[in-house]
Amino acid sequence: MFETSIKLALTLSQIGAVMGVVLLTVAVLTLLERKVLSWMQDRMGPMEVGPYGVLQPVADGLKLFFKEDIIPAGANKILFSLAPIIVLVPALIGFAVIPFGPNWTIDVLGVEFKPFVISDINIGVLYILAFTSIGAYGVILGGWASNSKYSLLGGLRSAAQLISYELNVGLAIVGVLLLSGSLSLVEITEAQAGGFWNWFAFDPLPFPQFIAFVVFLIASVAETNRVPFDLPEAESELVAGFFTEYSGMRFAFFFMAEYANMILVSCMSTVLFFGGWHAPFPFLQAPGNFVWVTGIFWFTVKVYFFLFLFFWFRATLPRLRYDQLMRFGWKVLLPIALGNVVVTSLLAYIFPN
Amino acid sequence: MKLKKWIQSLIFYEILLGMKETLKHFLKYRPITLEYPHVKKPLPENYRGMLGLLRYDDDTEKCVGCDLCEAACPSRVIRVVSAEVPGEPTKRYAKEYDMDMTRCLFCGMCVQACPVDALGMSQEFEWAVYDKRNLHLNKEQLLAIGDRAFPEREKRLEFQHPNVAYFNVSFEDIPEKEF
Repeated sequence: MFETSIKLALTLSQIGAVMGVVLLTVAVLTLLERKVLSWMQDRMGPMEVGPYGVLQPVADGLKLFFKEDIIPAGANKILFSLAPIIVLVPALIGFAVIPFGPNWTIDVLGVEFKPFVISDINIGVLYILAFTSIGAYGVILGGWASNSKYSLLGGLRSAAQLISYELNVGLAIVGVLLLSGSLSLVEITEAQAGGFWNWFAFDPLPFPQFIAFVVFLIASVAETNRVPFDLPEAESELVAGFFTEYSGMRFAFFFMAEYANMILVSCMSTVLFFGGWHAPFPFLQAPGNFVWVTGIFWFTVKVYFFLFLFFWFRATLPRLRYDQLMRFGWKVLLPIALGNVVVTSLLAYIFPN
Repeated sequence: MKLKKWIQSLIFYEILLGMKETLKHFLKYRPITLEYPHVKKPLPENYRGMLGLLRYDDDTEKCVGCDLCEAACPSRVIRVVSAEVPGEPTKRYAKEYDMDMTRCLFCGMCVQACPVDALGMSQEFEWAVYDKRNLHLNKEQLLAIGDRAFPEREKRLEFQHPNVAYFNVSFEDIPEKEF
């Protein structure tokens, strides 16, 4: 009983810490995105709230919190209120298996405890993929339950897009799984220890997964409904897509889910292709017991690089047309991902490490 | 050539070019926008802003109530009711002078039409109001705009130039009168 309660307390505090960091990052990202976008477009971005607008997320949050919560006439009330939750929870739940530091097991009062990953389950990749697909249900249900044609069109587009690109995400990961021989994100990170030449994106032997990484990146941008694949919420065509009719906190849930998904996908690219918490050069890693400091530092740097990449794409690229999106997904990305799987497995068979 | 294009499409060459361009702007942060309510863009000299009625330096109104501005206005903004100056039957003035600024298109034709330069266009443009009726300006409001926008006032016409006193008109290239 005592051990169980200790374990519960430890896990809960860990979940609280990770959720806190993730939600804080979401808040930071809302500001960062606007700033990065406006800098790239020769604007200043938010400048009013606080010095250089740094308190803008607080103002946004307060505004959304106090907004009227409107349920449109004819909407399916249950599904309408369920949809934002279905979208947000899977986006946040995925962080449970992301290792953000060295794979240590410490002993707290007779309880084994891994401080840098909430739960090291041996099918971590599968778990994340499964939950991100559940998020699509929220989008579709929210689009349908709003009783609005814009929402419905956005939801349908989102469904088609997610199904097409989920496949590419899965196939792009297969190469990494072949090389590391595990579905656990902790073990995948461990397999990339050492310098950046051991990261799967650059690993020369047996086959660098850089192509797979590019496929994964494109497909994950599509999966998070970001520009240039933001057809589900295309402002110029569908007002706001599936969350046209949402307001107040429900809208904020969709918003947070989008950003949490971005963070999750960035974490996944970091862990799968860019060595997780490992430093690019061994001498950049702190020695001995302080390795976790540099570990968390490098992990954060990498994740923020990918998040920056998302904003960079958004500032640069125009939206794809629907048929272009489908053609690109099925006729370009899918063959490349499949070819990568074939080549990687052949080479991994010929040159076993 | 075909191979080059093929390779370029393979490595997303054009997308990379575009991303280079955006990164250049990101690194060289030189915003072209202003923080508007705090920082205002300098307006050109001939900016056609809010209309105002002017006065002479002895606080008398310039307007002689001739109705030419009303005639010149393409959108019928101006309404002038002209009357004799009490006690001075040869002089007229605008008893009422109303402008419906909701219709004004700031063409400046009234200013050009005015024979005594009684109208002026200020540099004011922040005239957003909650109630449209606040834009129906009467003579006092227009004079107030003129007062605050044009603090430098002209002398009365008869003191400006010896010839003008006879015509009560300020033509620029008026011929020298011979005595």
